[in-house]
Amino acid sequence: MHAGKLKGEATMGSNTADKALRLLRYLPRVCLANIRDNPGAVKKNRRGRAQHGGDNHGDGNKGSGQRQNYMRLGHHLRRQYPPLSLNDLQLLIETNRINANQPIDLVSILNSGLYRLSPDKHEFGIHLTDEGADLFKAKVNIEVQWASELVIAAIEKAGGTITTSYYDQHSLQAMLNTKKFFERGVPIPRRMIPPADAIEYYTDPTKRGYLSDPEKISEERFVLSQKYGYTLPNIEEDKDYEMLTERKDPRQIFFGLNPGWVVNLKDKVILKPQNEDLKDFYST
Amino acid sequence: MTTFINISRLLRSCSTLRTTKHISVRYSGFINSPFLEDVQIKAKYEVTKSPSEWKYVVRILPPLTVPELALRDKYNSTFKPQGDVKDRPYIVCRTKNHMIPVYLKISQRGVKRLTYVRKIQGDIWLLGKELETYLQPMSKRPLRMQVNEFTGSIIINGDYVNAIKYWLTERDY
Repeated sequence: MHAGKLKGEATMGSNTADKALRLLRYLPRVCLANIRDNPGAVKKNRRGRAQHGGDNHGDGNKGSGQRQNYMRLGHHLRRQYPPLSLNDLQLLIETNRINANQPIDLVSILNSGLYRLSPDKHEFGIHLTDEGADLFKAKVNIEVQWASELVIAAIEKAGGTITTSYYDQHSLQAMLNTKKFFERGVPIPRRMIPPADAIEYYTDPTKRGYLSDPEKISEERFVLSQKYGYTLPNIEEDKDYEMLTERKDPRQIFFGLNPGWVVNLKDKVILKPQNEDLKDFYST
Repeated sequence: MTTFINISRLLRSCSTLRTTKHISVRYSGFINSPFLEDVQIKAKYEVTKSPSEWKYVVRILPPLTVPELALRDKYNSTFKPQGDVKDRPYIVCRTKNHMIPVYLKISQRGVKRLTYVRKIQGDIWLLGKELETYLQPMSKRPLRMQVNEFTGSIIINGDYVNAIKYWLTERDY
């Protein structure tokens, strides 16, 4: 009985296939006139950009609802990450604007003078984008603020390492122009921890977050190489191992310089605080 | 005598003004504040002059000029340094950023597109002719070109930036 039922199903299945084939014979050919996109394939650009389309970007006018009895919601306070593509990064390295023999961070990219950041416009750092990912060949130790999976794969395939890290606005202000900052004669600020909605990103080893476990990161490096199908270069045996594994402390904003120190460019000395309360304040 | 009367009248008018109008008082300012000398820093600090720490300061100071090119065997980006162009009838010099000076200028709300080739030295008319023969097949209409010998620049109507950059890099400019 059981076997018979199975047999019946099988015959019915082949009947359905035959039926479908017969149906297909009489159906019109697939052409431009009768095809359409898969559901969800095309995303509608919701934010208008023209003369009137870009007025408030769907957030309504400022008024009673927005400013008296409700918070002002929308994109006005969202963190921005101006893009820098892998193409741009490679060009900066090959034209000697960035020294790839040393760790690359936001400071070295800003010092090239070819990337601009306005922390006062809620810009929080670099979004490394995947344009030129296939042609990226530079071996770098880079620290950016936002990167996609493909970008991480491109950098690790080339034998480099990448970290995503968060800087608060005061730290960014010090990083914009280090010479100007040191001339002010104020202590190097300590880096704040990320806000609540960014903690998840920066503790994620798949995003190479600076607060995630280094052992899990090395695991994820291997997992990503398997996913994208490349052999992971062994950085332990690399002659630049020291450089590739150099990382900042979560409270540190410049390599080798601790928060709380004052740099005197005129006398070429560094002043370090000795008071216990200051040491406590700046410790990690 | 008349002058005295006038002054006294003026004074009286001033006094009435004072009583009627609010007088703004400036408590402090940049000019009348004393010069800052011998600031008392109570925090204890240690002064260090270690080269191993100072090298990190030098590393993050922004360079004052554009760094010179370090020539490489292979370039993976679109960049290619200028070759030997000494014995040529014309030269298109590189910019201080080591880039080819070909730019697109968009005006009239994106309608008008002009391609600028700058920093041309030598026989600019020959370059104009060669560019015309190269670019004309890309356009349906006759190419509109302005050769300015005085400023050493050529302006072409339309967007031919990438084409001209490619053409120039092929010729080691």
